[in-house]
This record gives sequence, C-alpha cells and structure tokens, in this order.
Amino acid sequence: MTVFLSGGAKNGKSMLAQRLSKALAGGGRLYYAATMIPHDGEDDARIARHRREREGWGFETVECGRDVMAAFSHLPRGTVLFDSVTALMANEMFHGPEIDTEAPLRVREELNALADWAENAVFVSDFIYSDAGHYDPWTEQYRRALAEADRELCRRCDAVAELCAGNIIVHKGVLPE
Amino acid sequence: MDLIIGGAYQGKSEYVMRTYGLRPDGIFSCGEEGLPDWDAPCVRHLERFALWCIRRGKQPEREILAYRNRWKNSVLVCDDISCGVVPMDAEDRAWREGTGRMLAALSREANTVTRLFCGLPQRLK
Repeated sequence: MTVFLSGGAKNGKSMLAQRLSKALAGGGRLYYAATMIPHDGEDDARIARHRREREGWGFETVECGRDVMAAFSHLPRGTVLFDSVTALMANEMFHGPEIDTEAPLRVREELNALADWAENAVFVSDFIYSDAGHYDPWTEQYRRALAEADRELCRRCDAVAELCAGNIIVHKGVLPE
Repeated sequence: MDLIIGGAYQGKSEYVMRTYGLRPDGIFSCGEEGLPDWDAPCVRHLERFALWCIRRGKQPEREILAYRNRWKNSVLVCDDISCGVVPMDAEDRAWREGTGRMLAALSREANTVTRLFCGLPQRLK
C-alpha cells in the first residue's frame, strides 16, 4: 500500500507517518528515508531529535538526500517512510550554483521507482501553496515542481490525507489501521 | 456559479477542464492590467483581479458582485492566499484580506464550492 501525507508545518505529519508505516510493515523490514543534508548545527540538532523520536520503532535509516534509488535498490525490499518530498526536491534542484532544471522530472521518476520497489510506502510532503507571498523565480519554480511531484504521487497513492492541527482529513482511500 | 479554490499549482484548471469539458481557450486568466472577460465560461486567477482592485482603491468583493449577472452561470477559480504569515507590505495585506472577503462573498453566491488539494477535489459546499 502507498500513502501520501501533506499539510502545514508542525501538524503531526511525521508522527502519523511513523505510525502508519510501522503498521504497514507488519513486522517486516522498515526503512526511514532520511532526506535532510545537514548544513549547520541547527540541522544536526534537528536530525538528532528525529533520530531519538524514532528510537525503538524498528526503523533502519537510509540516507538519501539525493539519488534515492541508488540508496535503496541494493537493499532487501520493505516498507519505506519517505520524509520528505520537500527536502528531496530542494536538494535535487539546488545542489549547484545554478538551478537544476532537470531535477523536477528526475525526482518524480525516482519517487515513482521507489513506490514500485517498496512493499509499502508512506510519503510526507509540505503544503506551501496558500500564502500571499511574491517569490523570486527560483522559489516559484521550486513551488511548482514540488506541487507537481505531490500531485503525481497523489494520483498513484492508495490513500491521501492532509494534516491540520493534528487532525486528519482523508482526501482519497482509507488510511491503514 | 461554481467556485473552485485551492493553493497554487494544485490542479484547479486541470480539474475545471476535466469536469466542465472546457478547453484552455474557454478559460480566461485574469491579469493585473485590466478587467476580466466576465463572459468567458471560466475565469481564473481571481486573486489577480483582487490585486487589480486593491491597486485602484476598490474593494474586490464589491467590484466582483457588481458583475454578478455576467458570471452567475460561470466557473470562477481563485488561488487561496490566506494561510501564510501576515505580509510586511501594506498593499499585500490589503490584497490578502480583500481576496479573503471576496472569496467568502463568492462562496455565499456559489451553487458549489470545491477545494483542490494535490489534484484531489474536496467539496466544501
């Protein structure tokens, strides 16, 4: 089964994603796709906090800030918690001095390949589309690319839900128990 | 009138074309430079119409309701710009609030209100 979760910041997406992926794994292999590439002490602290929160859940952490399938394809198949599409897209689009214009398509292909490979997958993204900002062209390209990746995942995922202040709005399918 | 709202890039236009059998030439995109073609089957980017109003000292809600007879059988599409941090710029604050009040008024007028989330429609009214 594949699940897609999105919503604003600090609404409970990651915790729900952990719970759903553990339930889906049913005692089988359970991977945490770690997408954050740390750049400073604040990032290190955030990663350490996330690792502590996952302790005891049975996740194997797979580092995949970029090139998702290179990190997964040699592993035994299992259930993947992918957190987050947001970070992967940023890493792939902004890894060099110029924006990588091929990244949006590549990210969609990689995430589709991961969904094909995984026994179950839970994808987490961020809903960054309802503010009144005027963004520079790079940021606007990023917003569009992330939205298109979100929409493609939502087409193929069995269940889609939005988190709002810890509440779950199901937009498609039924979330696993 | 059917009102379609949602965040940027959420698949609103794609949904309109699929649901109402419209082609791109049946959808008028508002700009910041002038009044929309209210006789088009679908008018989108009403948030830009709202900005056009604000820049001329007009209230978007009042302005759009003045054309009610022209769009009362149409599909109206607008980005929801209401959820971010309060903008620093006074014009942006007026735009954000004016768009919100306009959408609330249009929701009252609408037969249906649909929100798009990642390409998926959610019926609000």
